[in-house]
Parts: sequence; structure tokens; C-alpha cells
Amino acid sequence: MTRRWLIDNQGLFFMAPAMLLFVVFVLYPIFYIFNASMYDWDGINQAVYIGIQNYIEMFTNDRSFGLSIRNSIYWTFLTIFPQMFLGFILAYILTSGIPLQNVFRIIFFMPAIISPVVLGIIWQRIYAPFGGLLADLGRETGALFLIQPYIADPKIAIFSTIFVNVWQWTGFSMLMYVAGLQGLSQEVLSAAEVDGAGTLQRIIHIVLPLLRHVHLTLILLGVIGTLQTFALVFMLTKGGPNHATEMLPTYIFQKAFTLQSMGYASAVAVVLLVIALGASIFQVRVLGSRFTIGN
Amino acid sequence: MRRSVFIGVKSPRHIGKTLAFVFVSILALIWLVPIIMMLVVSLMPPDQRAPRFGGMLIKGVSLQNYVTVFADAEIIQHFVNSMAVTVPSVILVVLISSLAAFALARLKFFARDIWFYLLIMTLMLPIPTLVVPIFQINKALGLNDSYLGLILPYTALGVPFAIVILRSFFAGFLREIEEAAILDGCTPFGIYWRIMMPVSWPAVAVVIIWQFMTSWNEFILALVTMNSVEVKPLTLVPLVYSGQFMMRPGPMFAILTLITLPVIVVYYLMQRFMVSGLTSGAVRG
Repeated sequence: MTRRWLIDNQGLFFMAPAMLLFVVFVLYPIFYIFNASMYDWDGINQAVYIGIQNYIEMFTNDRSFGLSIRNSIYWTFLTIFPQMFLGFILAYILTSGIPLQNVFRIIFFMPAIISPVVLGIIWQRIYAPFGGLLADLGRETGALFLIQPYIADPKIAIFSTIFVNVWQWTGFSMLMYVAGLQGLSQEVLSAAEVDGAGTLQRIIHIVLPLLRHVHLTLILLGVIGTLQTFALVFMLTKGGPNHATEMLPTYIFQKAFTLQSMGYASAVAVVLLVIALGASIFQVRVLGSRFTIGN
Repeated sequence: MRRSVFIGVKSPRHIGKTLAFVFVSILALIWLVPIIMMLVVSLMPPDQRAPRFGGMLIKGVSLQNYVTVFADAEIIQHFVNSMAVTVPSVILVVLISSLAAFALARLKFFARDIWFYLLIMTLMLPIPTLVVPIFQINKALGLNDSYLGLILPYTALGVPFAIVILRSFFAGFLREIEEAAILDGCTPFGIYWRIMMPVSWPAVAVVIIWQFMTSWNEFILALVTMNSVEVKPLTLVPLVYSGQFMMRPGPMFAILTLITLPVIVVYYLMQRFMVSGLTSGAVRG
């Protein structure tokens, strides 16, 4: 390496701290889980090499893993699209110049900045069967359908959990759409108005297609967000009842740190990694999705 | 039909806006219920038994729960722990990502695009996939139960998103100023530090808010890294005291409120940068 080469490549010095952290805390861990997934290992004693046995077990004989995959699919579709739909409506209204629109934006975004640990505990009290907000509201007003075993019934627990997530993140979708709408040129919007296009027509044929990059970003971030859901489920249901709300991250945690199966947990982590990278790379390469809505 | 008889009285546009305002107001009230509930339960008098409506109906207001929490739990210590992890990670992310983003936006160097794609790949990784190896790395380095055991991974995982934000911001600068500076003998570091950084505060503000919130609220890595009560950040506090305050929602919700206040303050102070920061690239095309 000559002096000349170093001068031509001095960008590497600027990059060095970022690269170092990346290698230690991202690249090495990726190799690590691929390797560890081939072992039967409790994290303490000598690991035993077992080839792809963990994967065979996972795909043929593991109900909880199957439930985690099913729940991830529910979660993906039932959070992303409702959040986008409601987020867009809110953004459209809150960029139209109604009074207090900044206050409203802050209110709707607020759940997104609060720790899911905190929200999980609050929502336990909302869902509680005795003395809970919804159940008591049902008893008091006669709206008996409000009295449900929201997080105790394995059939509906996952949907109750997803509902909290939609409530938490709709404000984020709204904010992204607000930013997208503010980026549109006023001429496009007012030209459509002069031409006599009705509001709904204008939204469907002009505004929504122009916000394609925002839709794509929200789907990309939504898929990744779904795949790393942990704290909310951990606090609200602990993945239960009977694994009914298990997600891949809660399952990894349980295997690794409660049941001391580091090898098996690593195998689940590899599957999660492959799904996450596959889905994201597909979106970025094929659909042209971006992580931010800036240029 | 659209704008005939109502002109001069109330245009349909006006009615539409009024309806929209009413709709948004009602929805906003519903939206706030869980957050209001957190505050209300935390103010519940300690002698009130069997709260109904999740605790939304309280008989009087009392700060006793906060007194209890400060007396029975090491809240200040946990707050200091959260700060000791969050503040260094925010500073490191801003410094490291802005250096890298400057290089990626302005300098040519070996394998530049490959490095950029690898860093972008980090954004696609669910953090729980890394929890086992990071736990083992920290164990090997003796960093479990230490602030550094969280500061380093938080920084590593926060840098890529910050790079994406800052790189597109830097890329939008006019090159003429930099070219003039180079002619005057300014080094690349000088351009980064004296020309770009001082005018990049809108993008830096977004990075600061985002990193503050992610570090402050991060849970899974904290859960496996911090085992001793003395070093646990606030995010783990509800678990620590869940047994002690199991039958007493008041003190528990006081804890939840105390955890939440700092992020709301930071967000409120910085929120005007948020929308402009998100679009900073788009606006300048």
C-alpha cells in the first residue's frame, strides 16, 4: 500500500469506525448463528455437532415454530395495510389546513415513541376480564360484545395483540404520508381541482399513485418491524396462551434464555434472518422500495 | 349540486372541513385513552381498592404513588442507567454515521458501493436474530452488566439508518462551495467538519431523536445483557418490580409514566424537525 493509494482512498478512514462496528456486531453474529445452528448446545457445556438436525426438528415436529410463522403472516397483513389506510386518511385530513392539525399529528404519533413495554402493561388493564376498561364498559353500557377474553383465548389473542400494534404505529404511517403529501407539488393537486375532479377521484387517480414511494417504504418497514416484534408480545401475552401469540423473536428468546437451547435458538434465528433478508432484498431490488422517503 | 345554493352561507368545502375536524377530534380522543389511563392510574389514591374501568375512574388525585416509587424503587439509579446508555450511543451514532455518510456521499474509495450495501443490509436484520451472538460476544469481552455492553451494539445497529438519512442530506449540497474550499487548501475532513456539519442540523436532529428513542426504548438486548438490578435501564424496571407492585397498579403506572416522560419531552422539543427531516431529500429533489 503506497502513500498515493492511501491518499486516493482516504474515505476508508472516514468509514473505519462504522465498518469496525459492523464487522463485530453484525457480520460476525451472522456467521455465528449459522455455525451455532449446527450444534446441540446449552450455552455452557461442550456443544455437540448435529448437522441440520435442528432444522429438521423445526420444520417437521415443532408446533410452536409453525404458530410463529402463521402469526407472522397474520401480523404482516393485519398491521401493514390497516396502518397505511388509516395513516393516509389522517395525513390527508391533517394536511388540508384544519385547525390544530399540528396538535393532532403529535397526538396520533405519540404511541409510536412510547416503549412497547409500557404499552403492553397498559393494554393488559384495558383487556382485563375483571375491572378492565373494555369489559367494564361493556357491563355498564350493555354492549356485551365488549366483554371478551381478549388475551386469554388462544383463538383471538393474536388479533388483540395485533390491534395494539396497529394503534401504536398508525401515527408513523400518518407522518410518512404527511411528509409525502408535502413533497407533492401544489400545481398537480390544484390542476386536478380546476378540472373538476372530485376529492375521491383526485385521491385515487392522482394522489395515491404519486405516493407510490411512500407505500413501498411503509411496506418495507412494516415487514421488518413485524419480523422483529418482541417487547409488546413479551409484555402483553408472553407468547401465550399456549404459544398462540408466539412470534419468531419471542420463540428465539424462549429457546435461548429460558430453555437454554442456544443451538436450536440459533437455527430459528437463521430462518428468521433468511426470511427477513429475502423479503427485504426482493422489495428493494424488484419493487424499488427505499428505507426513507427522501430522494 | 356541488357548489350551488350554499355559496355565501357555507361552501361544501367548509362543511367537508368541519366534518373532517369532528372526525379527527373524536378519533384523537379515543387514541389518547391508553395514555390518559397511564396518567390517571398513576394518580390514583393508594387507599382506593378494586379500580374499575381499568382505573379510569379515580376518587381524587394523589401523588402518593410517585412518593412510593421513589422510596421503594431505585428509580433515579435506573434513570441514570438509561441515560448512561442512551446519551453515549446518540453521540457515537452522530459522529460515526456522519463521517461515513460524508465519505459515501463525497469521496471515492475502495469498494465504496459494497460497503454501502452491506450497511444497508443491517437495516433489514431483525435485532432478535443477533441476540444470542451479541450475548456471547459481551460475555467473552466481559461486557455483560456494563453500560458498554449496550452502548456498542446500539451504536452499531443505529449507524446504518443514520447513514441513510445523512448521506442523502449531504448529497444534496451544492458542490461549488466545496470546490472553492478545496482550492483554498481545505482537506476533506475540513469540508466535513467546517462546511457540512454546521449546516446539517435538520438531518442531525432527526438522527438524534431517532437514536434517542430507539436506545431509550430498546428491550431485548437490555433484557439479556443487564442481569444485575443496579445496572438495569428504565425499560426493564416494570419487570423488576412486577412482583412487588403486582397488586398495586398505582405505583406500577407511576413507573410507566416516569419511563415515558423523557421520550415525550425529547419528541416534543424536536418534533418540528421530524417531518422536514424525513423529506429533506425529496424537497431538494
